[in-house]
Amino acid sequence: MRFLELSRILKFAGQSFMRNVWLSIVTITIITLTLLSISFLLVFNIITQHTLKAVEAKTSVYVDLTDQASPDQANILVDELKKIPTINKAEYITPEQTLNDFKERHKTDQVIMDSLNSLEKNPFRGSILVGVNNISDFPSILQELSKKEYADYLEIEDQEFKDAQFLISGISDYSQKIQKGGIIISLVFIFMAIMVVFNTIQVGIYTHREEIGIMRLVGASNNFIRSPFLFEGVIYSVAAILIMIAVVYPCSIFIQPYLDGFLKEYSLNLMSAINQNWLTIFGWPFITAVFINVASSFLAVRRYIKV
Amino acid sequence: MIKFHQVSKIYPGQTTALKDIDLAIDSGEFVSIVGQSGTGKTTIIKLIIAEERPTSGQIIVGGWDITDIRNKEIPFLRRQIGVIFQDFKLLPKKTVFENVAFALQTCAVPNTKINQIVPQVIKIVGLEGKEGRYPNQLSGGEQQRVVIARSLAHKPKLVVADEPTGNLDSLNSREIIDLLKKINELGTTVILVTHDREVVNSLRKRVITIDDGQIIADQARGRYIL
Repeated sequence: MRFLELSRILKFAGQSFMRNVWLSIVTITIITLTLLSISFLLVFNIITQHTLKAVEAKTSVYVDLTDQASPDQANILVDELKKIPTINKAEYITPEQTLNDFKERHKTDQVIMDSLNSLEKNPFRGSILVGVNNISDFPSILQELSKKEYADYLEIEDQEFKDAQFLISGISDYSQKIQKGGIIISLVFIFMAIMVVFNTIQVGIYTHREEIGIMRLVGASNNFIRSPFLFEGVIYSVAAILIMIAVVYPCSIFIQPYLDGFLKEYSLNLMSAINQNWLTIFGWPFITAVFINVASSFLAVRRYIKV
Repeated sequence: MIKFHQVSKIYPGQTTALKDIDLAIDSGEFVSIVGQSGTGKTTIIKLIIAEERPTSGQIIVGGWDITDIRNKEIPFLRRQIGVIFQDFKLLPKKTVFENVAFALQTCAVPNTKINQIVPQVIKIVGLEGKEGRYPNQLSGGEQQRVVIARSLAHKPKLVVADEPTGNLDSLNSREIIDLLKKINELGTTVILVTHDREVVNSLRKRVITIDDGQIIADQARGRYIL
């Protein structure tokens, strides 16, 4: 397409946009809402993925040692456990460390502290802290630790493993449910956007019907007739994406303290997460918007002008 | 210039507009197609500009067989034909100059060329000095002159006029017919569709009479016979 033709197409598209400015504003608003719902879904996905990884990385269980297990045997066990590929961390926790940790956690509870001081010896036994690469590996690790050769030294309580798994699957389930809801909302908005854009273009074509008729009469090519409407759709998309960017960043600043409060040590810097995933959060919605607009324009033009 | 060979046109609902029409119009001719309303005159124009396709038969325009013309070829055909309608089809928010220029703008003609051509065609139709006026500031005859100027912008070899005087008084009609004669004298083939007896009788040019979708008379220096 030559520059001259392109410049005239852009001029006609701009004229159409301005002549129906209120209709254009409504269309851009609907597209912006659609894009925002999609981008919030994407941001939510990033947050939940980050949280799941962080929780998984920090999830570990304590395997208690029996009275028969000496510190040396415990260290041998740790070395053996480190050889299992699904285990990323194995650490011997002495009875003294366990006692100190317990005291630290309950230092404000005088009843517990008094009871502890009344005992003549350390009531805690040693344990091994086990961390895994993937939470779904817990059952196989549990099976590994239940072998006969460890039976004399380890007291396996699978409840702790189950609790950890429950936590992870709980987060995962909630995020999946919220994502499903988000997808439904996005689909509703996409459908609304298609309908609004389609009708906007139809109204545009209706207001331009004389012009279109004359264009056909004097030999304008089909592309020349169609292109201004397609470009008008692109103008809507660009305007919507710019508004979306202008909304998403302030929103991320606003949400950050709430996110920190809710996720605590698992929280993430939302702004930098958005920057790192810029193409995903803004690129895909933009492609979606252009697709909605161009497809709607194409269908409306095809339906309303015999070209 | 134009050949119709056994052309029939049947619209949906089995409405027959044309039946086995055979027609040949040479280059440089001025031909009036006459007949009462609904006899198929406008269908002939629509077939020439490929707004409609024949149900059967063959149509050749300027040596080009347009019987089964593809959609993307239609614009190229229409750039070679000037079309004038009874209802003017002018853009009300554009000036005389802009209305004429619009025909060229939509076909990627450069601005420098547009600025050369438009004043020329406006001069031919006698509207110099009125380039900046809007259609509602012009008389019916003047509006039709703008349409003629626009139809001449592509320097067509063929001009088809469908009832161009239908909305005009006798004085303005006379002026428009004189203008079409002038265009014809400059070498352009003109096809005039009309049911205006006075206009046809005063022309003393070839007249093709259509009745019920068929040619019932074709006279070299004809008169309105219905």
